Amino acid sequence: MLDRRQFLKLGGATAFATLFGGCDKVQSRLIPFVIPPENYTLGEALWYASVCGQCPAGCGVVVRVSEGRAKKVEGNPLHPVNRGKLCARGQAALQALYHPERLSRPMKLSGARGSGAYTPVSWEEALSLLMGPLKKGKAEAPGSLLMVSEPMRGHAGLVAGRFMKAFGSKHRVAWDPFGPDAMLSANAAVYGVRDLPEHDLANARYLLSFSGDFLETGISPVHYAREYGRMRGDRETIRGKVVHFGPRLSMTATAADLFLPCAPGTEGFVALGIAHVMVRDRLTAASSAAGRLADDLGAYSPEEVEKKTGVHAHDIAAVAEEFARNQPGLAVAGTGAATGPDGAFHCAAVALLNVLAGNVGTPGGVSFPDRAQAFAKYGAEAALLAPSPESGYGGMRAALEKMRGGAFRMAILSGATNPAFTLPPSLKFNEALSKVPFVVAFASFLDETTSLADLVLPVPTALEAWGDDLAPVGHAGAITLCQPVVEPLHDTRSMPDVLIAAAKELGGEPAKALPWSSFRECIEKAYGGPGGEMEKALQRGGFFGESSSSRSASRTGSVAFPKAAERPIDGDPKAFPLALHLYPSLTLYDGRGANLPWLQEMPDPISTAVWRNWVEVNPKTAAGLGLAEGDGVTVTSPSGKITAHVAFNPGIAPDVAAMPLGQGHTRYGKYANGRGENPITLLPAGEMYALQATRVALAKTKLSTTLARTGNPEGQWKVKNMM
Amino acid sequence: MKHTWAMAIDLDRCTGCGACVVACNAENNIPVIGEAEAGKNRLMHWIRVNRYWEGEYPEAQAVYLPIPCMQCERAPCELVCPVYATYHNEDGLNAMVYNRCIGTRYCANNCPYSVRVFNWYDYKWEKPLDEQLSPDLTVRSRGVMEKCTFCIQRIRRAKETAAEEGREIRDGEVVPACVQTCPPGAMLFGDLADPHSEITRKLKDPRRFRLMEHLGTEPRVVYLKRQKGAGR
Repeated sequence: MLDRRQFLKLGGATAFATLFGGCDKVQSRLIPFVIPPENYTLGEALWYASVCGQCPAGCGVVVRVSEGRAKKVEGNPLHPVNRGKLCARGQAALQALYHPERLSRPMKLSGARGSGAYTPVSWEEALSLLMGPLKKGKAEAPGSLLMVSEPMRGHAGLVAGRFMKAFGSKHRVAWDPFGPDAMLSANAAVYGVRDLPEHDLANARYLLSFSGDFLETGISPVHYAREYGRMRGDRETIRGKVVHFGPRLSMTATAADLFLPCAPGTEGFVALGIAHVMVRDRLTAASSAAGRLADDLGAYSPEEVEKKTGVHAHDIAAVAEEFARNQPGLAVAGTGAATGPDGAFHCAAVALLNVLAGNVGTPGGVSFPDRAQAFAKYGAEAALLAPSPESGYGGMRAALEKMRGGAFRMAILSGATNPAFTLPPSLKFNEALSKVPFVVAFASFLDETTSLADLVLPVPTALEAWGDDLAPVGHAGAITLCQPVVEPLHDTRSMPDVLIAAAKELGGEPAKALPWSSFRECIEKAYGGPGGEMEKALQRGGFFGESSSSRSASRTGSVAFPKAAERPIDGDPKAFPLALHLYPSLTLYDGRGANLPWLQEMPDPISTAVWRNWVEVNPKTAAGLGLAEGDGVTVTSPSGKITAHVAFNPGIAPDVAAMPLGQGHTRYGKYANGRGENPITLLPAGEMYALQATRVALAKTKLSTTLARTGNPEGQWKVKNMM
Repeated sequence: MKHTWAMAIDLDRCTGCGACVVACNAENNIPVIGEAEAGKNRLMHWIRVNRYWEGEYPEAQAVYLPIPCMQCERAPCELVCPVYATYHNEDGLNAMVYNRCIGTRYCANNCPYSVRVFNWYDYKWEKPLDEQLSPDLTVRSRGVMEKCTFCIQRIRRAKETAAEEGREIRDGEVVPACVQTCPPGAMLFGDLADPHSEITRKLKDPRRFRLMEHLGTEPRVVYLKRQKGAGR
């Protein structure tokens, strides 16, 4: 029997044991909060401004940080590019930060090159592995160093550029698969400015989109989506109208009031047809004054254009008249028009419409702010901080040629543009790189390119690093500042930091060119350091007050007439009946987003497919080929053959097959690998990086996979019943 | 003060870009289910963007319809819950009590908008992806129904801040994650009880309509029809 006294004794002992039994254990789950870390209050979130590094648009973000962890990325309301808005890719920056497959420490190759077998090493060992070949190269053949990166903006570009110059090598290639080369050369020809235009959508009344993709994957999708919203609904009495020409009903095309499908690769002819009507009927002051173009435009009457493009002559005439009547109006060309073999012609023809409408340098029109002005104090070096957004394809090809010739002893790779994945395989990037004796890669993830390196150095993501940025459009010269919003998760060092340290160790010229102790110091010196202006700017996200003077488009009076070169695309139309239309994926962009589960699981707006890629065909074309939705097909071009699933797009031209880029990874981690095949393997390796460069044939085949589509779970609905 | 939260979605501005979907994923600890489960139509997204085809080539057109929970005034889901796990809260929102839910899925069956999603498994966040999880919300376990809450955690926070400062919630002070991020500004959120709020004004637009109005569910999400042509 347990009496009262015993019960109390036992109870006391138990209580004692419970109370003090835990004393010898180290608390691992509860946070002892006697002296909390700086800026750390339980339950209270803090917000840090930085830049979104998920694509080159350079949107400003604010990151919600709670208990030292980034919880959510949101648009920075003060940032001129995106004003508080952010796209799906930007939101997913968090998953890149906390990705389970992120490289957490330096790794050196432990097997054959390309085998993917690496052993982790310390930073000391990694740096000594890096410095050996660097020192030897500097002493013996400084010109044998190659750097392949994505276009680097801000002081990161300055550090990389100065490093290469001081090292004595001029082989620096910046590769961006969606670099708007065609648009740049068209702008140089038509406006006399080799730069990206700023389209003032918000104040336009009429927008002509020629395969435009400004709402999804263009130069600055969030900026232009916001402007598009303002164009539609922010004015009391005006609603901007959008007309879209193109071979495919894309997400941007569905936003248009009128979608007029044209044959693939004929966007420029439609534009010239509209120009013809504008000049012939003297519809605007500028087009009446451009009478001397009448001869050149003579061959592009709407009837002639109809034969070539399939757009009805009366539609062309009606759109021309509406465009001229509803001024200010804009004409924009998108990736689909710019990345054909004849892209520069298409872009120039579209740009001509802006000139004929008299909308260059006016509100609701096209302007050319002087971007490099923000870095004017650097003089000739300003081009390192605000590089031209070109793709660098020419430089890449030349570099590959030299690699094969054994000109390089060492290559430095960096950036997310993944040339082994985004270049046509016939260029043989992998093989060329294998001729370089020592390859070092700066990366957050192993991918098709970085897994070819001898030494992989882990870098912080954009949310963990110092830096600055100058967005390509929408900013009026504003500089964005980046700061680490959280403590770096892994033992990472940024590429500029490593280059600065390497320069110090090399001594001499390089050490003089990079006189800072760290990249952070470089940024602080450039912007006045802590305490001053920079601290305020860091809180706001950058220097936004300044406005830059707009460069005048110098040559609008005597514009050259764009000449069509008529470069046929690859493949015999008999054997390969469909033109292949490749487009950047809304979620995966050039493929860099493919390892982020949120993006893989976001349904595509057109096909509603997730986790896998597909080929879009018109249901009528598919019926002719005996294909049903979801069927497996082989897609064959003269250059390659892949398989994919069929997805119907009733708004795609019947002679076109379209595929999104971004899937088809083989070495980008478990979320990205094995989700279809890479459509870039279908492309020939031409003079230009052309995505619309080949014809294909489709044939039914059996695939072991299925295409998961998430279209309307309510199934039985028709949109008419709901609205 | 009593609130009548409502959302307006302007289809004339919506581009179908899906930024709302991923913003919601990040805000509300929504699990990633993988390809196999997605193929069974089990996506856990609280907001989806439906795409409908209209017409045939060359007049084919797509219509986008972002669909969060409609937060119906007369909600069909609430009536059928045997355990009172889904109920009408003080602001008129359809709230879920996860701890009460026994997973009958009657509510999902009765929802004409198919916005309720069910946790078929205990979904895992591989480390360190779990570092991103919002501390304001639970991670739901297997066998529990869940759905859009109009970001109730943000509403609660705004109420607390306002109460601390001894004032009413200001118009525009609280917005769900989807509305906040929407690039073209197609979504608007506010309090219909406030006669001067932006949403009260916006919903006087003759373009307004609600999904399946004939069912009499009185949704709190109101759509504005797409327009055609230049001018108004």
